[in-house]
Amino acid sequence: MIVCVAVVGHQNNPLYIQSFTEADDALKLHHIVHCSLDVVDERVNNPKKSSPTLNETFLGLLYPTENYKVYGYLTNTKVKLILVTTDLDVRDADVRNFFRKFHAAYVDAVSNPFHVPGKKITSRTFAERVSTIVKSFGLSSAS
Amino acid sequence: MEEYPEELRTPPVALVSLVGCPDLHATVTTHLHSQQPPLNALALPDFSKISIISRPPKDASLPPQPVAGILKKDWLLKHRTRVPAVVAALFSSDHVSGDPAQWLQVCTDLENLKGVLRGRNVKLVVVVVAPSNSKDYLSEDRMIALRKRAELDSKYVIIFVPSETELQQLGNTFSELANSFYKDEGRRIKARLEKKNFHSAELNIRCCFKAAVYAEFCRDWTEALRLYEDAYHAVREMVAASTRLPPMQRLIEIKCVAEQLHFKISTLLLHGGKLAGAIVWFRQHYASYRQLVGAPEVIFLHWEWLSRQFLLFAELLETSSVTSQHVSPSVPDATDRATEWEFHSAYYFQLAAHYLKEKNSSLELAQSLSETSGEVDGNAESVTAAAYIGQFAKLLEFGDTFVMQSLSDEEYARYALAEGKRFRDSHEIIALLKRCFEAYNKDKASRMAAFCGFQMAREYFTVDEYSHAKEVFENVASLYRQEGWVTLLWNVLGYLRDCSRKSALVKDFIEYSLEMAALPVSTNVAGQRDCGPAGPASIAQREIIHNEVFSVIRGASESEPTEENSSLNVTADNPLYLEIDLVSPLRAVLLASVAFHEQVVKHGAETVISLSLLSQLPLNVEIDQLEIQFNQSECNFVIVNAQRSHLAAISCLQPGRRVETATTLELRTNKWLRLTYNVKPEQSGKLECIYVTARWGQHFTICCRAESPASMSDLPLWKFEDIVQTIPMKDPGLAFSGQKAVQVEEPDPQVDLKLDSFGPALVGESFIVPVIITSKGHSVHSGELKINLVDTRGGGLLSPREAESFSSDNLHVELVGVSGQESEDLSNSENIRKIQPSFGLISVPFLNEGESWSCKLEIRWNRPKPIMLYVSLGYFPQSTELSSQRAHVHKSLQIEGKTAVVMSHRFMLPFRREPLLLSKTKSVSDSDQIPSLPLNETSMLVVSAKNCTEVPLRLLSMSVEAVDASTCDVKSKSKDPEEPVLLVAGEEFKQVFAVTPEVNLPNLNMGIVCLRWRRDHGDGERLATCSTASAVVTKHSLPDVNVEQPPLIVSLDCPPHAILGNPFTYSIKITNRTQFLQEVKYSLADSQSFVLSGPHNDSTFILPKSEHILGYKLVPLASGFQQLPKITLTSVRYSAGFQPSVAASTMFVFPSEPHFGLKDSGEMRVEPVAAE
Repeated sequence: MIVCVAVVGHQNNPLYIQSFTEADDALKLHHIVHCSLDVVDERVNNPKKSSPTLNETFLGLLYPTENYKVYGYLTNTKVKLILVTTDLDVRDADVRNFFRKFHAAYVDAVSNPFHVPGKKITSRTFAERVSTIVKSFGLSSAS
Repeated sequence: MEEYPEELRTPPVALVSLVGCPDLHATVTTHLHSQQPPLNALALPDFSKISIISRPPKDASLPPQPVAGILKKDWLLKHRTRVPAVVAALFSSDHVSGDPAQWLQVCTDLENLKGVLRGRNVKLVVVVVAPSNSKDYLSEDRMIALRKRAELDSKYVIIFVPSETELQQLGNTFSELANSFYKDEGRRIKARLEKKNFHSAELNIRCCFKAAVYAEFCRDWTEALRLYEDAYHAVREMVAASTRLPPMQRLIEIKCVAEQLHFKISTLLLHGGKLAGAIVWFRQHYASYRQLVGAPEVIFLHWEWLSRQFLLFAELLETSSVTSQHVSPSVPDATDRATEWEFHSAYYFQLAAHYLKEKNSSLELAQSLSETSGEVDGNAESVTAAAYIGQFAKLLEFGDTFVMQSLSDEEYARYALAEGKRFRDSHEIIALLKRCFEAYNKDKASRMAAFCGFQMAREYFTVDEYSHAKEVFENVASLYRQEGWVTLLWNVLGYLRDCSRKSALVKDFIEYSLEMAALPVSTNVAGQRDCGPAGPASIAQREIIHNEVFSVIRGASESEPTEENSSLNVTADNPLYLEIDLVSPLRAVLLASVAFHEQVVKHGAETVISLSLLSQLPLNVEIDQLEIQFNQSECNFVIVNAQRSHLAAISCLQPGRRVETATTLELRTNKWLRLTYNVKPEQSGKLECIYVTARWGQHFTICCRAESPASMSDLPLWKFEDIVQTIPMKDPGLAFSGQKAVQVEEPDPQVDLKLDSFGPALVGESFIVPVIITSKGHSVHSGELKINLVDTRGGGLLSPREAESFSSDNLHVELVGVSGQESEDLSNSENIRKIQPSFGLISVPFLNEGESWSCKLEIRWNRPKPIMLYVSLGYFPQSTELSSQRAHVHKSLQIEGKTAVVMSHRFMLPFRREPLLLSKTKSVSDSDQIPSLPLNETSMLVVSAKNCTEVPLRLLSMSVEAVDASTCDVKSKSKDPEEPVLLVAGEEFKQVFAVTPEVNLPNLNMGIVCLRWRRDHGDGERLATCSTASAVVTKHSLPDVNVEQPPLIVSLDCPPHAILGNPFTYSIKITNRTQFLQEVKYSLADSQSFVLSGPHNDSTFILPKSEHILGYKLVPLASGFQQLPKITLTSVRYSAGFQPSVAASTMFVFPSEPHFGLKDSGEMRVEPVAAE
């Protein structure tokens, strides 16, 4: 289950962060998302030479914490998309698929002429769309 | 890791027991320790002590007991300290070869030893210690007997003479035997394992463990690893199966054993360099046990255990030599690939701390439960660790004997709780977090470090170490501030606020409170867990904080002090002053934007300043008083809130300060408070608004640095928010380009400075520039006149090179002096007077209004060059007060420098008289050849001077100053003019000199032509003040000439003119100046205009020092200028030809007798030469 998704701007400031848990651990998830930026930085600054995925936007598993796994995605405008999940067995393809949809939603949200680039995303439509994407996460693989 | 016994932490070491000959033990032991691999030695001084190594008697009569545990606690220790692999019996050679009694003793000792070792596989070595050089002394028989008694191979009965090589040999034998002992033991155990004849899983695990340890003894790491892994898996399987112990303790034991096995496996993997493998193994270990929480009463034990797993692994990672840099996570399987942080020990430290914290909280819960249930633990002290790893037992005392009694789960839980109470975990958590905080910082993972720091500070906070907590929290907060993580920042600030409250730091408390109240927290995230002392981040909470802080600020008079705020108050004893600069996080609390409406303002004129204040505090704030501070403190003024003017805030004003009253000074959330006032700058220069200070009550002040709207940056956290942004000023132009500083112009000078000049300056003369200062409204106090000469083409002062700037020869233009009407006064020492070649500074006397003063600048040009003359006058309009402003008047003037006259000269020989100069005949036409003059002949020198300027000049005289009068005689042919000659622009003046060289020199210096002249002032000639004095001498040096003795001189002699038809005589006189007979050939060409009589062609000889005359009679046939018949002479000796020039052989023929006025003839004489 996805517990948190976040959009982080290129100054590492949060643009959108939403948790999807019953328990009120938003703060903890904020911490996890914030810490994951270190891994993103590390991946971006020291890319593995041998890696074939040099221009890959999907950063893969960033790090596992006690109960969560954190995945990252970096758009070409250096906006980071972060996903925190409690599922221990996650298929890469699902995560990629999720990020693709999430990215599309983000692009649509910032294409809104009333959105000022660099500001937090407050669009309700975006929030709804993200929540739909989050709900559908992993369903395709199950069926 | 330190809590583990050493035998577990380090790889096993073989044990050798030495019996007998105690004096040798130290040497042998030291040697064995230094061996590679080292051997431990158990030294027994004599054979009576061998019972130590004997096996404890096993009561065979008892039926086999059920297995009581998995691993015996002291098994490893036993093998390290008590059960040797090899026993070396040391006998002295004296005893072996001694008398029968001694021999008997040896035999008995040996028998006893064998008895002890019986049933065990322990290797025996008999060492006969012989003194040096007596090795052969031992009898063969005794040795054989000894060997037989010991039932040993001859290899293991050693005669040992103490020496280095023998020691080496002994050591090798020992290690070889030890190896074979452990190998045998291992083989034995493995045989049991293969048969699988166990009735319990415990035994299986135990055997695997033992076999693995034996394999380690033999340094067979892979085998050891495999066996440990087998044991580990078997343990994991036991979880569901075992029923031996009550469930709680059972799990504890299993975890304990698993921990040990895991430790061994990880150590082996890491020492083998398999970092990735170790990490994968650890992950599996964690995954398979993390769910085995156990009984809820003692759940804290599970967390503690998990924490210990992480800590152990972290320490192992840290100590292992393999660094993460060298290992790339190359496992291709994407999901199993270890991520970056899993290679860092910090990651494990962090999780260890996390689980320890978890343990702490669940322990507290369990303790509170046990306290409520009112259980009093009486016998916890008697519980102790049992013989098996991970087991505990009650120690019961029956008289002298102690009996271990197993515990019930309830008893155990009570014991565990009591144990848990004894330890303070917070410091351990802090230590762990500090380690990962530092490790992450080292890896430049600042955010991870911040998270660890946050947890660490929170832990400090819970144990009431507020100063530590505050320090770390501040560090963390700065990162969150910088990256705009508002929720996290809110949380941290909440802690900080509480820390300062509890340490009674009023300033910090207010700063943090204000910052929190002004944080862009807008979403009402209901009920966050773990939100700390700040409460959940919400607008409501911000408002609460806002009210709280303002009640503190306003002091107790306005609101009742709450219980917790009692130590925090702002009073007269304890005033508070906050400063907000451009990087302060409190900018969102109060932002002051100040703009002048103009960029430049006249001195003494008023200008308008707009002041805009913005606050993001959630509630409206009323400011009591505002003070605007400028760099010119006279301009400072105070704005008082009309509604609050009754408050005593105004009392702290300085007297004489301007006070404005505003109807209201209320700051609304995210709304600019705009105020506009007039300001009158007092001084010229820059007027800048520096601070805007807001006051609340008498004792609270916020000093806010003023910002220009043009260069104002966004509020750091609010810029990410989607809020309405407004511009600080109403006028958008001002809002985007307004500046907080204005330039105040200097007071307008009311003094005229006039520079005059008469056309271009001429090289050589002292050019006079009059400077006139006229006061037109200002009186001039302590005026100073600065004069600068600057090259118009740039390049600063007028000297060719800086280094030589003061040698006047090199100066192109120099300021010679300043002369004024009051020149006597100026020479007073108190007046400034400083003249340098290109700079001058003179003081101007006091001038009243309407008065004027003048002086003259004297500038000399040494080269023609245009220059710029800058003159500036600085003065005080009022009498010298410190406050009054110096006024400046600047004037500049470009002055051309020109050469006045250009002089040239030429030499001419006398008319129709031609000396033969040999140097002329030889040379090819060379322009730069020096002119040649005949010796003792009079030649003509024509010097001309041309006026090159537009200015008319007066020539006073021209003369030639010879270097040496005896060498050459120069006489002016014309008289000096009595009246100076006027030379207008472009006109040329010529003067003729007769030159007679008297010395035969190849290079005769002719001297210098001096022309004295002055500027013609036209009608003002008589008025000119400086006319007589300022005659300028222009010098022109004549070139050197070559003086020669001419051998022949040819002169043509004919009348000046002829009349048509009248015959005249034309004679050619050839003078021989030499001592030789000269042959001359001549020929005369016919001319159409004349009829002539006389010889045409001939050659003739001329005697030395004599002359020969050729005479002709000519009759002119045509009138006008006519060419005389051309004569050509050739000197044979010098092979030099001569032909008279065209001018010399032309004459004018009148048609009839002319009639001249005789009086003109005097001037006529000069004319033909001057007209040339």
